[in-house]
This record gives sequence, structure tokens and C-alpha cells, in this order.
Amino acid sequence: MMHLKYLDILKKNIGLRKTVRGDIFKVAVLSNIICHQINEMIEFSLRSHGVNASVTQCNYDNIIQEVEKYAHFDAVIIFWEASNVTDGLYYRINLLNEHDVEELTDKTIGEINYVIDSLKNTPLVIFNKFSSTIFNYHFQKENNFDIFCNSINHHLKNNISTNIKIINLENILSDISIKAAVDMRYFYSSKALYTIEFYKHYVEHITPILLSTVGKTKKALIFDCDNTLWKGILGEEEFDGIKMSANDKDGLPYHEVQNLALALSKKGVIVGLCSKNNSEDVEQVLLHHRDMVLSEKDITIKKVNWLDKATNLKEIANELNIGTDSIVYVDDSDFETNFIKSMMPEITVIKVPEKKHEYPSLIRNAFKYFYSSGETKEDYNKAEMYRHEYLRAKEKNSFSSIEEYLQSLNLNLSVYMNDLSITQRMAQLTQKTNQFNLTTKRYTETQIKNLITSNHHLILAINAKDRFGDSGITALSIIHLSKETAEIDTFLMSCRILGRNIEFKFFDLIIEQIKKLEIPQIKASYIKTIKNQQVEYFYENIGFSITNRTGNAKHYVLEIDNYITKNIDYIETN
Amino acid sequence: MENKIKEIMSVVFETELSMIDDCSSIETIKNWDSLKHMMLIAVLEEEFKITFADDEILDMLSYSSILTILKNKLN
Repeated sequence: MMHLKYLDILKKNIGLRKTVRGDIFKVAVLSNIICHQINEMIEFSLRSHGVNASVTQCNYDNIIQEVEKYAHFDAVIIFWEASNVTDGLYYRINLLNEHDVEELTDKTIGEINYVIDSLKNTPLVIFNKFSSTIFNYHFQKENNFDIFCNSINHHLKNNISTNIKIINLENILSDISIKAAVDMRYFYSSKALYTIEFYKHYVEHITPILLSTVGKTKKALIFDCDNTLWKGILGEEEFDGIKMSANDKDGLPYHEVQNLALALSKKGVIVGLCSKNNSEDVEQVLLHHRDMVLSEKDITIKKVNWLDKATNLKEIANELNIGTDSIVYVDDSDFETNFIKSMMPEITVIKVPEKKHEYPSLIRNAFKYFYSSGETKEDYNKAEMYRHEYLRAKEKNSFSSIEEYLQSLNLNLSVYMNDLSITQRMAQLTQKTNQFNLTTKRYTETQIKNLITSNHHLILAINAKDRFGDSGITALSIIHLSKETAEIDTFLMSCRILGRNIEFKFFDLIIEQIKKLEIPQIKASYIKTIKNQQVEYFYENIGFSITNRTGNAKHYVLEIDNYITKNIDYIETN
Repeated sequence: MENKIKEIMSVVFETELSMIDDCSSIETIKNWDSLKHMMLIAVLEEEFKITFADDEILDMLSYSSILTILKNKLN
């Protein structure tokens, strides 16, 4: 998007308006400056990822007056420009005494608190840090405007809830320069401060955050090997001829890239290899090369062979149970990068640049694709878990039946019931799970908390482990309770634990709880999305009958007494 | 350049290209308001790689004045 001209963005957006379908993702922009130029850019950016976005702006400088009107939107972006908090604040504030500055700060904080509180149930609120840089970069000494912005930012840092994401505008200003970001012509005539160039970068910056709320985050970073993980070609050079050492100027950029990949893998991103090499050669490097930063255990999946890369990347997605649109692929070859771009445009492709000193910053820039709203214990262990998953899949081949294999796993489930200590993880599961998800309803942490404390919901979560490792909290059901019926609002399972019949055991547990509450009937729905086909007949298969269909949904009912318990004896619970 | 300007106006004002002629102006195009005017200027500046002065921006309120000012600038 940063490379597209504004005219092309406007044109493409008109085209996408006709082709992108699905639920409307409502975004509101609330601001105290004129920034309507951003609307089409946000729509275009989200629509090009298949999200049917629609952007609305509040009236100029009406953030407080109109905020409640937009609280039910999917996302609210707040452009609260420090320089225009009151007319001409950035120069008037320097004529105020300390006491008046404090008073103004308190008043502004009060307003911000009101806005944030009004949006407490909005799934995502994007709030820009206050910045004095545009008007103050000339000065050697801090002035009242700096102090004001710092106080506001300090308050923001300490008083926000998890649905609010703070954006540092100064990162964008430093990237493109204040000169390119600001257009004073319109500031004096129309209270518009920023340029088209600025908004392009801003939208690019926040798009991954918006996408993460609809479960569209990149999950895997896959590397080619030669001239991508190290300098040189294995098989042509000697074993020690390939370079990736911090002590070698040619190897240094690759050393840094490997460190960046390692940091991502520790955050839960899957790191893998897809390269045309002899697999024993690469294996030797992974195991024995003293300069390798990434070790065997950091690399979750490897496709090192002579097949074409599109086939290999498809295989990688299959084996990891992720969509190909969750992959970022890095390669130095024009042929390979263009091939993947044309065969699989949903994959984000990074080409190793000719100027090697630019390579690490390209990978740093890619960190944003892996944006995740909060880091949970499960994130931290995720790479490890995916590797176990891969080992399990490999082991599958050596058993004569799938049942026999499952029996050998020592599967064990722990159940959490209405547990407030894991709300962040539960919200994350609703936001990220697409495949085994019967209704695909997304919840924020606050919404989950409210459901738990409402006293008429049963929220069950499952922690699954087996002899290969602990998968963490990976299944969730939200059940709405009334005297006569229990209605399943959400039933989902992370793809990490698919194929082990855990869903059936989990359902047995749900029925057991509902029986205890003496509720005679259970209702459920399946809402079709592009990704949840695999569970289309889940309820039919466990004995539910369809009562009616509406749009893309099927609705079911089951008398509790008619439920047949699966009694899967090889899955233990505690 | 004539066709390019009309294409730009049609995209920015979300109006059929056929509806834009040599007599089009802020009076005849429904969607042409002050916000759209800023978008129009931004697109023209990016497409023709120029920067307009304040007075020029205020004058460019019809197809014909846009054309005149642009021609002047580019020569």
C-alpha cells in the first residue's frame, strides 16, 4: 500500500467494494483534526485481506460528543491530535503557568477517561500517543507542550485496558520525516495536519492490529537456506565456506536475521525451512555448524528437497494445520519469489535485497505481520508445541490404526469452569480460531469477563496434554443457560489438537455439566464461514436434529436424555 | 492530460466518467465538497508530481480552471 499512489488506492477500493463480501467490519475514526483522507485507505487495506470493511468518521472535533454512537463498532480509531486539543494549544500552552498546565492536563485526562470508558466493550480501540515533535523538534529545552504530552502518555500507559492499542506516531514520523508527514497548507486553512504519505504509512502500521481481531494474523515465517539464512551455497562451498557469523562482515546480516527469527520463534511464531538442497547437507549445518543461531529445536518444520516451492509451502500449511495465508516466505531468488507470488498471492513474500545491509531491517519490518494482542503462556510455548505436533504426525505412520496411535499418546484433559484467571487466553481463542469453530463468534477479554460474572453462562475451557507435550488451553465452549435450555453459543478447538477425538470427550464433559444443572434440553448452531467446513456436520454426527435454517446457519436441538456418551477411554480427565 | 484530469475527478467524486465534461465545476458535481477538494488536490499533486500554492488550490474549482493552472505549472 505504501507503494501505491492515492489514485490507485481509491480506484482499487471502488473495485473491491463490489467483490469483497461477508459480514461488515465497522470501523469508526474519531478525531479532532480533519483526517477523512484515511477512510478509503483503511477500507482498501482491510478489503484487500478479504475483510468487508466500512469506515465512518465522526464530525470534526466531536470525539467526546459522539463516542457512544460508535461503541458498538468492531474497531474505533482515535486521532486525538495534541496540537489541537484546544485551538492553537501547541503555542498557547507556553504562555500558561505551571498550575494552568496541570489543570489543562487533568481536564484532558478526564476527557480521555470518558472516551476510553465509553469504549470499554468495543473489541478494538486504536489510540495514538500524544506527540509534540512536529512543533517542537527545533527546541533544545523541554517546554510546556512537551510536558503536557508526556503527562498524557504517562497516564495512557498506566490506565488502559486490554482492548486499547497505543500507537507511537513518532515511529512513523521518524520513518518518513516530519517534512513528508505534515502539510501546513491545510493546517492553517482547514485543520488538516497530515499528508497522504503519512496516512499510507499509518494504515500499513495498524492494519495487522485490525486484522488480528478477525483472526487474520500471520503464523509462520519460512526461510529458504542458501543466501537467505546464510551467505553462500551449500554444496558448492565447503561446509565452513557458508557465512553467518557475527565476526564476519559478509555473515553479519545473516547472523542478525537468524537472531530476529529466533526472537519471533520465542514469541510463538513458527519458523521453518523450505529450500532446494540435499536434506542431509542442511541437517549437518543445523546440527554441527558453530555459527548457526537457529538450532534444530527452533525450526518447527523443514521441507528440504527438490520439489517446487509452492507444493512444499502447501505441504507445510497442511502439516501445521494453518492456512497458506498465514505464511510469510523469505527467499533470495527472483524466480522463486515471483513463482510464489503468482501461484499463491495470499502468501507474503520477502525477497532478500541485493544490498545485504538492508536485509535485517526488512525482517524487522515483517515483525508487524505477526502482531498478537497479548502474549500468553501458550504463545510462548507455541513454537515448541507445533514441533511436537509435527513429531506426532510423523509417528502416526508407524501405527496400524489411528485408535492404536491415540491410545499410545496418554491424552489428558484438565477442565476450567467459569475461570476468571484465563480470560485473556479464552478471548484470544475466540479471536484466532477459524477452522474448528462452530459459530466463529469473537469476544474480547472484557466481554468474556462479563459473561462469566453474569451467572447465566457456563464457560468451559480445556487444557490438553499428552506424552509429547502440553498444548495449553486449546478448547473452549460458551453455553448460555436458562431453566429450560442450555444454548451453545461457542464451541471451538485450536487446530493444534485436532484429530485426537478430544472434541467428543469435551462434549461428554459439557453434557455432564448440563445434566448436573438439571436442564432438559440443549440447543446449538453451526454458522458457515469460508474456513469452518470441517465441522459442518459436527452436531448431526453427535445426535442433534436440525430445527431450522437461517441464511448460512443451521440450528439444532437435542433432548439431554437422548445424548449417547462417547466414553473415549484413552482420554483421561481431571 | 485532459482525460487524466477527468478520470481523476470521476474517481475522487465517485461520479460516472461520462458525467464529467469541460463545463464541470463545483456547482455541477454533487459530491464536490471541501473534503473531497482536498483529496482531489492530493491526487493531482501525486499524479503530476507538483505542489500547488494556496491561491491555486482556492481557484481550482472547475475542470477548466484545473486544466489552466496545471498547464501553467507544467510549462
